[in-house]
Formats: sequence, C-alpha cells, structure tokens
Amino acid sequence: MARSLWSGSLSFGLVNVPIAIYSGVVDQDVHFRQLHAKDHMPVETHRFCKEEDVEVPYEQIANGYDLDGKQVVLTDEELAAAAPEKTRTIDIEAFVDIADVDPIHLDHPYILMPLGDAQGTLRAYRLLLEVMDRTERAALGRFVLRTKEYLALIRARDKRLVLTTMLFHDEVRPTKDIPKETKKSQQPAKKEVEQAVALIEALGCEWDPSRYADEYQKRLKRILQQKAKGKTVEVPEPEKEPSPVPDLMAALEQTLAEVKRGERRPVG
Amino acid sequence: MPRSIWNGTIAFGLVTVPVKVFSATESKTVHFHEVHVEDGSRIEHRRICPKEGKEVDYDEIVKGYQLTKRKWVELTDDEIAAAAGAQTRRIDVDHFVPVADIEPEYFERAYYLGAREEADGAYALLHKALEKSERAGVGRWVFHNRERTVVLRTLDDVLAMHTLRFDDELVDPSELELGRVSKKPTDREIKMASQLVKGLHTRFDPSNYKDAYRQAVLKLIERKAAGKKIELPEREEREPADDLIAALEASLAGGKS
Repeated sequence: MARSLWSGSLSFGLVNVPIAIYSGVVDQDVHFRQLHAKDHMPVETHRFCKEEDVEVPYEQIANGYDLDGKQVVLTDEELAAAAPEKTRTIDIEAFVDIADVDPIHLDHPYILMPLGDAQGTLRAYRLLLEVMDRTERAALGRFVLRTKEYLALIRARDKRLVLTTMLFHDEVRPTKDIPKETKKSQQPAKKEVEQAVALIEALGCEWDPSRYADEYQKRLKRILQQKAKGKTVEVPEPEKEPSPVPDLMAALEQTLAEVKRGERRPVG
Repeated sequence: MPRSIWNGTIAFGLVTVPVKVFSATESKTVHFHEVHVEDGSRIEHRRICPKEGKEVDYDEIVKGYQLTKRKWVELTDDEIAAAAGAQTRRIDVDHFVPVADIEPEYFERAYYLGAREEADGAYALLHKALEKSERAGVGRWVFHNRERTVVLRTLDDVLAMHTLRFDDELVDPSELELGRVSKKPTDREIKMASQLVKGLHTRFDPSNYKDAYRQAVLKLIERKAAGKKIELPEREEREPADDLIAALEASLAGGKS
C-alpha cells in the first residue's frame, strides 16, 4: 500500500476522526537523469557556499528572503513559527454545494483514510462518509502540508473521503485583461449560433475518462526502445497552423453535413 | 495585457478559432532561496560526477533513462521532442461533454484563451454556442513536449481551458483498504450528523478565504528584519472521539472544540 503523506485528525464539530492522507495521483511519466556524457555516470547535486567555495551540509542551510533589497534569513525552526497552531487538524469550517465550486480553483487530489483500526475511528469515518455520500455537498477546511496551507474541499467518492486542495482566490488571475470578442460587430448571427449549438449537440457524448490515454508517454517509451536497439529516431516536421475560415456559416453547415453523413464522430 | 504562453488555433469541425493561451493561475506562495546559515551567502548547486569527484560543465551533460542497473539510454532534446509528435499549432475539438460531469480530480491546470485579431467573430461564436449547450469541448494540446487532454468551457465572457489528468494517473480510492465496522452508523447518528452539515451549509464564495499562512510568513520575515526574536510555538494534539453520540450532541448544541 502507498505511504501516507500526512496524518492528523479531521474534525467535524466535536467529532475528531484520526486520518492519514494519501496522494490521489500516481506519477506515470518517464523520468530522465542528468548523466556525465563521458562516462554515463548520473551526476550528483552538491550545495556550495558561493562566498567560501566550500560544500555546505544540509543542516547549515537556511531560508533567505529579499525584503526590499535587504536579506532576511530564517531557519527552518523559525519558519515553523508561521505555521498555524493546528497543523495536524483539518477543521471542517463549512459545507458548500459542489456545483458552486468553479473548477478553476482545483489543485491537487488526495485520499483520506482512517488512521489505525480503533472502532471509534472507523465508525466516525463511516458516519461522515455516509452523510457526505447522501448530499451534493462538500466540506471546506484548511490543510497544512509541508510549509504551505491549503484550502481543501472534502467529499465522498467510491466509498472513501477524498480531498482536493484549492487555489486561493487571489491566485486565480482576473479575466478582464484577456482579449475577447464582446464588441457588437463581433457577435454571431442567431442562425450561426443555432448551427453551432446543433453541431455541439451532434458531437455530444458522455464524459468517459477511460477514452483518453497519454500518447506522449507511449511514444516516448517507444523511442527509448528504438534508441536502446541503436536505431535512429526521426524528428517529424512541424505542422502548419490552419488558417481562419472566410465564411463561418458555410463552415458550420459543411461540418454539420459531414456529421450527419457519419464522417465525423465524437471520439476521443 | 498579460503575456500569452502559446499561439494556435482551435479547430471545431471546419470552423477555426485563432487563439492565444494565457495562464489562469499564479502561485502566491512565499519563496525563499537557500543561504548558508553561518554567513548568509547564497548557496549554489553544482553538478558533480561521483566517479571523478569533479564538477561537470553543463555542456558535458546528457539526458539518460535507466534501462538496467548499469545501462543507460541517452536521448537528445530533439529526440524527446519527437515523442510529442508533430509540433502542432492546433487543438482539434471533436466532441463535447457535460461540463458538470467531470470529477474534480481530473482538473490539472487552468488557462484562459484569448481571441486573436484574426478570430473575426469565431471566438464569440464558440463562446456563445458552448454557453448555450452547457457543454465543454474536449481536445488534445501539445505544450512543452507534453500532450494533454484539454476541456474548453466558458467562464464569464472568456473561454477557459483546463488540462486534465489521465485516468491512469489517478489512484482508485477503493484500492485503499478500509477497516470494517462492528456496528454501522445508527439512524440517529446519521440524522444528527446531517443536521450538522445543514447547519454549516453556506454559499461558496472564494473571496471569503484568505491564505493566512502566507500572511504569517510575510509577517515573520518583517519581524526578523526588525531584529525581533522569533518565539517557537508549542503544539497540541487532539483526542479522537470515543463517544460519537455525545460528540454530535455537543456539536449541535453549539459547542466549540
């Protein structure tokens, strides 16, 4: 079983549930190491003091911050003083409708499991799970991992409690400076919108994540195998970008006709 | 205007929408650099070859993948880029899903799509049609030698694009073993807990939640700069609840822990 990243307690009113947190993500990527070209030895990273030109052991490294041109140094212990009092507790502050949480705030998924097998713990976990499973609501709380505090959304999924960290409001950029087409002259005709909606409906399908696979990683693994056998790898030519269409309505009508003839299908 | 990170075209059937991609998020985490605690000077990372015990210049470094304990496959940056397929400047949106059906776990990073001059009404059309149909377009996007599934949806008056995690990147929660309970939660416990959920229900407004930790770190830096001593706090641990009903009752009665 995977190792937990964090343990502490989830508190819901006066009910405290000891829990362990597991990452909800597995790294499937191919990773490369930096090698010394001459002898194919993986290089190691060592930390040196720039001033004295000597290697510095990890315990002698602190955190520097440039405050208006003045350097401030904090040791790890001092930095820990900024951590909230409750670094080992996730307090449920509120329950919100999941539909109200815009996906733009979502960050990293985790899974919450009861810590230990005491019946009291297991029953409290089960109670929370059952109650959450019955509503379209998620709990909001705060969660401190390593040196950062996150806003977290907790809900039931597949008979477990899952947590997703969220970005704070000021970490989401405003949309006001993004170039868009809101001028009157840029607005589509009613007929064009109807055709475009008809096209979307025709190409509509259920959300099914199993239809998407990481083709890049597959190709990378193939390339590694070719290279291991001593074959050369061909680098493909860059593709040309399609040009804008002169007549939106004609493009919509032609695409819809292709969909109706079965030439275009909603496949991932 | 913010800086765009990618230029390309959304192809939606034969309709093309020239767009610019902008990052929709920015981390506000306070970042530190490593310093030598004795003299406050900067720490430098140096690459050392363990065989020679000497520093290795950047141009003597290659990327390697470990096949067996002793055998490495070397790949050039061009060869790694080849895995991304043809460097395409288009995102084909070929099917549309109900946006509310995508579980939160799949969302990875968020971007905004901006209209380019040449969009000539096509951006506004896609925006309006997506908004009306309440669906999100799904496509693939190649960016920085990575290919991602992306969904395009409307957010106020712009198009937002999210990269999605692949299915095999997510842990199936049911793989984690859950201990059995000797006695299921009783109706009374469920009823009381549901009441608590109801009592704590609020409308989600992201601007209500501030990063208190970030503020505390910045304050700490200022205190230290002013030469003040930093007190190291003591932590307390909480006791798990043994009596569920009693804890629920006390919570409903407005008790604060």
